[in-house]
Amino acid sequence: MKFTLNWLKEYLDIDLSVEAIADRLTMLGLEVDSVTRLHEDIASIRVARIVTVQPHPNADRLTICEVEVGGETKRVVCGAPNARAGLLTAIALPGCTLPSGLEVREATLRGERSAGMLCSEKELGLSEEHGGIMELPESVMPGQPVTDALGLRDTVIEVDLTPNRPDCASVIGIAREMAGATGRQLRLPAVSSLPDLNAIPVPFAIEVQDTVGCPRYAARLLRNVKIGPSPRWVRNRLQAIGQRPINNVVDITNLVMMELGQPLHAFDFRKLANGRIVVRRAAAGESLTTLDGVARALDPEMLMICDAEKPVAVAGIMGGANSEVGSDTVDILLESACFDPVSVRRTARRLNLGTEASYRFERGVDPGGVVRALERAVQLMVEVAGAEVVAGGVDCLRAGLLEKPTISLRVSRTNELIGTTLTAEAIAACLAGIEIGSTRQGDDLLIVQPPSFRVDIEREVDLVEEVARLTGYNEIPSTLPTVPMSFPEQGAGRLLGKHAASVMTALGFSEVINYSFVNEQFFDRLGLAADDPARQVVRLLNPLTEEQAVMRTMLLPGILENVRHNIYQQNNDIRLFEIGKVFLPRSGDELPTEIRQLTAVLSGRRHPGAALFHEGSAEVDAFDVKGAVEAVLNELGFGAAVALQAEAVGPAYVAADTHTALVVAGATGAAAVRLGGFGKLAGEVLRAFGIKQDVYYINLDLDGLDSLPRAARQFSALPRYPAVQWDIALVVPEMVAAGEMLAAIRECREPLLEHAEIFDVYRGKPIEAGRKSVAFTLTYRSAEQTLDDETVETVHQRILNRLVTDFDGRLREAH
Amino acid sequence: MLEEELHRLLAEAIAELTPISGQKELEAVRVRYLGRKGLLTQVLRNLGQAAAEDRPRLGKLANEVKEQLEARFVEKGAPLATTQTSDDPARPRTDLSLPGRRVPFGRLHPVTQIMDEVCSIFEMLGFAVAEGPDVELDFYNFEALNIPRHHPARDMHDTFYVNDRVLLRTHTSPMQIRAMEKQPPPLRIIAPGKVYRCDSDITHTPMFHQVEGFLVDRKVSFADLKGLLAVFCQKMFGSTTSLRFRPSFFPFTEPSAEVDIACVICRGAGCRVCKQTGWLEILGAGLIDPAVFRMVDYDPEEYSGFAFGLGIERIAMLRYGIDDIRLFYENDLRFLRQF
Repeated sequence: MKFTLNWLKEYLDIDLSVEAIADRLTMLGLEVDSVTRLHEDIASIRVARIVTVQPHPNADRLTICEVEVGGETKRVVCGAPNARAGLLTAIALPGCTLPSGLEVREATLRGERSAGMLCSEKELGLSEEHGGIMELPESVMPGQPVTDALGLRDTVIEVDLTPNRPDCASVIGIAREMAGATGRQLRLPAVSSLPDLNAIPVPFAIEVQDTVGCPRYAARLLRNVKIGPSPRWVRNRLQAIGQRPINNVVDITNLVMMELGQPLHAFDFRKLANGRIVVRRAAAGESLTTLDGVARALDPEMLMICDAEKPVAVAGIMGGANSEVGSDTVDILLESACFDPVSVRRTARRLNLGTEASYRFERGVDPGGVVRALERAVQLMVEVAGAEVVAGGVDCLRAGLLEKPTISLRVSRTNELIGTTLTAEAIAACLAGIEIGSTRQGDDLLIVQPPSFRVDIEREVDLVEEVARLTGYNEIPSTLPTVPMSFPEQGAGRLLGKHAASVMTALGFSEVINYSFVNEQFFDRLGLAADDPARQVVRLLNPLTEEQAVMRTMLLPGILENVRHNIYQQNNDIRLFEIGKVFLPRSGDELPTEIRQLTAVLSGRRHPGAALFHEGSAEVDAFDVKGAVEAVLNELGFGAAVALQAEAVGPAYVAADTHTALVVAGATGAAAVRLGGFGKLAGEVLRAFGIKQDVYYINLDLDGLDSLPRAARQFSALPRYPAVQWDIALVVPEMVAAGEMLAAIRECREPLLEHAEIFDVYRGKPIEAGRKSVAFTLTYRSAEQTLDDETVETVHQRILNRLVTDFDGRLREAH
Repeated sequence: MLEEELHRLLAEAIAELTPISGQKELEAVRVRYLGRKGLLTQVLRNLGQAAAEDRPRLGKLANEVKEQLEARFVEKGAPLATTQTSDDPARPRTDLSLPGRRVPFGRLHPVTQIMDEVCSIFEMLGFAVAEGPDVELDFYNFEALNIPRHHPARDMHDTFYVNDRVLLRTHTSPMQIRAMEKQPPPLRIIAPGKVYRCDSDITHTPMFHQVEGFLVDRKVSFADLKGLLAVFCQKMFGSTTSLRFRPSFFPFTEPSAEVDIACVICRGAGCRVCKQTGWLEILGAGLIDPAVFRMVDYDPEEYSGFAFGLGIERIAMLRYGIDDIRLFYENDLRFLRQF
């Protein structure tokens, strides 16, 4: 909502600075978006009177004008055809800069000195008029700034209205709020007493068939209207708030709408069949070309203003071209009405057509102000368009529309909710300031009559808000709630996610956050089969782009986009992770299942950021990613519950022989559950994502993990006796997995064996081809005594024998 | 025998040490006694041959001798370590100006960091954290929050729809309804999460993060809301942060307020970031509307409560001086490593 300071001051004596006014409005809940001083760029342009005009000696099209500017006479060269003696016009004196950026200087034009420039309206940015220099009315004084002479000096204030305050979509509404805040009296525009419109028969008829959609419809007829441009003050006002003047009749309807908040519409009466208005829903198949030139198909839910034959306007939204007021219009039927907000909104949505009128109707106009606005417009049309008013009119009013129930406002409840100690008198006074009347009943009660223009006030709490607002939020005390103590329960899933994130960052991974919606083509890039469950997606009806059309079912694609982005930014060493939800559709009416997952990627050097001379430039490999997985599972307490199972064939996007699944053994009889996996991404997938280096990934279902029993930490006593470490190096066939040998050692369940680990794997001379040497360090310890060699030897031999037998091994000779 | 040797060693060393004054001579004596191949080491090498029952005692003695000697040398001004010093400028030495061996630490996304910070302030105030679905029913996102289908307030939310009655939540406020449906008052809940609106430019991304908080109990007032949010803003933005409450409108609160803090950039003087107003809008808040309570069968005569919501990206942008919200979702490591 835009208005100007001068406009506001028409209804209110106010001597505050514009900054103070803006601040007051903002603190009343009418947030000021901008304050713009108008025409500051032409403040130095002055009024000049042309005294004499003589032909230019050296140019046919130019004249030399003697002009008077505030007691001085200047000689200027002018090219305008309308330059004539006696004309009052605008002059830019040397030193002035025009809105176009042109700096006016003393100049010699074809041999004649010119001490300034006479300007057209276009040159001053006032209109598109460029046929000649400005022609100012006789009332202005030479030497006066043009902005003062024309009343152009003004300031535009733009307020960001909340949807509950349609009453403030009018200058009067804003003025009323300011009056309440400053204790001044509001001056409504003078309208002679409102007539009883239905008292006198009129030469037109109004029939409202749908009183739900149109609870009030008033109209008057004006004859012999002289259509033409509006007077300057009307144009100035409309232009100041960004509206384009059209003609005097249309401009007046717009001006009154801005003034009072009531949208109006003027029909060319002679174009209305049978001089009749019918308010009804559109019939099937009807259409209307609206004033913006668009032919619109109508549906039977849309409320239309029709004549005896056809629609002539979309009710509350826009008029039709078939009844438009134009230069040949003689008689006008002026409409002021009230339409159902929901009906207008639905129609505006369906037609994708929002207007100043629909904005107001959607939010609710004052049903009590319909006739006042009509009379105000009639009066102005008489003034500026020479209209002759036909006595009488029509006012179709749905019974009971203007009866608004009173509201009981409890003083104690008001104070309890706000946290104040206001008296009944103080509450009544602050409501009265914005024309909300009340009467006292007993100690604690005010019976409030909400005014018709406050369509948002229906309940006690609505009044409590008004009291808080008018008291000033910053005047309300600040206290802390007193509440019984209780222990806040935390969502377990969130805590596990936070824990996982802290482990990942400690492992050098940085967190990313990607959009929850993705490009469906990602599934093709990942090489997923047509029937892959990940392709079952939740689809958006109105995505911004195809890139964001479906809800993600996996985090990997988004994070691969991040990998590509970073590589393009010459950052090749990448450790990223994301913890976020994936969305799996469910059948029927159910909301999708949302599952929290962790996905990480690893690529580039093993020691990013480390100097080469410290760590070298080795690239990450399968064991970096495995180490990260082991660290996460162990730190989160699931190291024992989740098994890592290497698989020859993994998901489509994983390179062959590199996939390891994360598997949890099912309860007896139940199938094992997979909670994710890790491995190296397939080359074709990386190429599809525009990535030219190896990338390892991890995927982990955090919600699945969260449902597992977590290993409780248990203290084990620190050993008192020393350990001994014995090594075994065993030559085994190439196909033997070292991990299985380690598992076999553990399965021996030797009580003295404290720990076993692989410390070397060796291939090559002197070991024959097809075999490799795997070396273990076994740590033995007893809780009761220092071990002697014989005891260790017995146990060690048992383990060795098992390995030799199980894995076709032989002890590697020392040499 | 070993014992005697140790005592003799100590006596001799002290005798030799006493007259010395030069650093170089001192070092020579130190190396002779305490060096890697020094006399003490030679003596100790024989420790293994001593009878087992004597070993602990002798070991202890040897240590005492060593400590005493070292103390004498320190008194005399010899350096503690056994490194050889030399005046040779060509001798290899550790260049300590080389960078340290860096362990690659990862970082949490700045949005996560700010969100955790906001949540933890309210957790300390006794609020429980609750999360809800991103894909939400129209009922929870709008209807139950007093925003019927054709209400103009829906214009404030550019909504992504999945179908007629399912959408991506446009705010975290649906958690008010979900939480109140589940439990009777009193309650104190903070609900962080992702929210979605069809809007994309330098100040809007189609997905962003909010934190919703609400408290319901008997006799909760607007003054309580002011007090609690003042505590929060001071913890979040500094103890001298000034606050202002402005009337506003949300269909699910009444009275409704926008909360501004004094601009963190210009300290209230007026700058580009605060559009010359000196204030930054940081929170929306209000007393929960009785219509919302009726939706969840709370008695609005008995209970009152307040709710507030804030945008995480906006706070992160102010905190770190980030001028383009889209940077949060590019996930450029050069960006992520700054926080």
